[in-house]
Amino acid sequence: MVDFLIGLFLATLITALFTSRLYRLLFWYSLNSLTLGLLALVIGARLDDRAMLLTGAVTILLKALAIPYVLKVLSRRFGLSRQTPPGIKTQYAIMLVPAILVFTFYLAEPISHMVQGNANYVAISISSLFLSLLLMIEHRNVAPKIVGFLSMENALFLLGTTATGGMPMLVELGIFFDLLMAIVVINLLLYREEAEL
Amino acid sequence: MIGYVATIVLLLLLAPILLSFIKAVKMWLLYKRPVSLLQGYRDFGKLLRKETVVSEEASAMTRIAPFWVLSPLLVALFYLPPIAKGAYYVSFVDAFTLTGLLALSTFFLMLLGLDSASSFGGMGSSREAFISALVEPAMILTIFSVSMMAGDLGIGQAGVNLAEHFPREHTASFLFAAISFFILLIAENGRIPVDNPETHLELTMVHEAMILDITGVYLALIETAASVKFVIFASLFASLFLPFGMEEAWLPAAAIFVGKLFAVALAVALIEVNTAKLRLFKVPNLLGIAIVFAFLSLITYYVLGA
Repeated sequence: MVDFLIGLFLATLITALFTSRLYRLLFWYSLNSLTLGLLALVIGARLDDRAMLLTGAVTILLKALAIPYVLKVLSRRFGLSRQTPPGIKTQYAIMLVPAILVFTFYLAEPISHMVQGNANYVAISISSLFLSLLLMIEHRNVAPKIVGFLSMENALFLLGTTATGGMPMLVELGIFFDLLMAIVVINLLLYREEAEL
Repeated sequence: MIGYVATIVLLLLLAPILLSFIKAVKMWLLYKRPVSLLQGYRDFGKLLRKETVVSEEASAMTRIAPFWVLSPLLVALFYLPPIAKGAYYVSFVDAFTLTGLLALSTFFLMLLGLDSASSFGGMGSSREAFISALVEPAMILTIFSVSMMAGDLGIGQAGVNLAEHFPREHTASFLFAAISFFILLIAENGRIPVDNPETHLELTMVHEAMILDITGVYLALIETAASVKFVIFASLFASLFLPFGMEEAWLPAAAIFVGKLFAVALAVALIEVNTAKLRLFKVPNLLGIAIVFAFLSLITYYVLGA
């Protein structure tokens, strides 16, 4: 089950890399967060860790529902362009993405000996970290960059959840508040950009 | 033995029904009165009764090719994985043979398109060549990676192995292979994001352009080939990527299998309703994504073992 969800996580991220529409991108981000939340719930249920179950539920509510919705509302209010063509052509991205994946899978090899439990999760979360970096790099518009930033946060969360068997609850909550702050900052940024136009 | 023959007859009988089912679901979702599920048979009967007209410019190829389009697909039908346990015959063919048979059928379809000497036929053939050239590598990679997970290169044995002990530790790479194969299913059968089977607009035709001036019995053969191709892909998807329900007796197992085929058809219909057709020059991007997922499936299997 965990393997399936992790595969789905990576699959949604890769699909997000190839989309050129803003709302579709938000949809894939939301699906990505949903798999992450379900993953936390499954692992939490297995470890019988109530804090982790709570984090999973909050992830689904906040990242899979609230943040995509807020971003959609913001993008509508500021009239952001709904077409976000990637700066890197798809033909090149098709070669770049497998290259990144192979590179990160081998990169994670030495680390995986240090982790107890399943070492694959570390490799997959590091590769999704790099892929979200690519998502930020390949777009010129603001909105996809924001989504890339949020996906990067997702990848870190995945690393924390699967590699360590659950970070302390306080850290998780801190990250959530951080994210909310980030959304507020993004709002201000968009105001600013509108003022300059 | 009876089960084996009955399976093939069942698949043949289901082939037109599945395509009519996709059409019916689409019409129902668009608030139209859906077509009957037996529409495929009605069309077939009507085409058999119609006069067969062959263009003056056409060579003997037009008379030969329709049979060659259909026969490799019928052969491939015999090599599909069995649908119940304790099957009479488990085929030994691997990914290359199956892809080769499908490519042979496509080759004769393209020749048929070129033969009528109309500009549409040539255009359709060139587009079909363009798409199927991109489908093949991804198809071989995908089936190869599934065969690796199942521990047998033969498609039939791979299906049996997957149903008997599903590789739980490889679920992630299994999922990537499934995504890739589903994109290929859509591309190879000319469903909506790649080709629209219902339109006759010159900008969008691929499959229809090739068979534009085929009539009568030959058209019936080509239409049958299209539906058999869909059923081949759907049953490959059902037995390789949804491997459950095979340990029952033959009849319940067959019922579950038919249910899976209809589920695949439903998924295709939902995608058709929800997406617009891609521009022809964007199709390589979609197939590129299929190749990425197929490659990802192999590399995840080898490097991570996940």
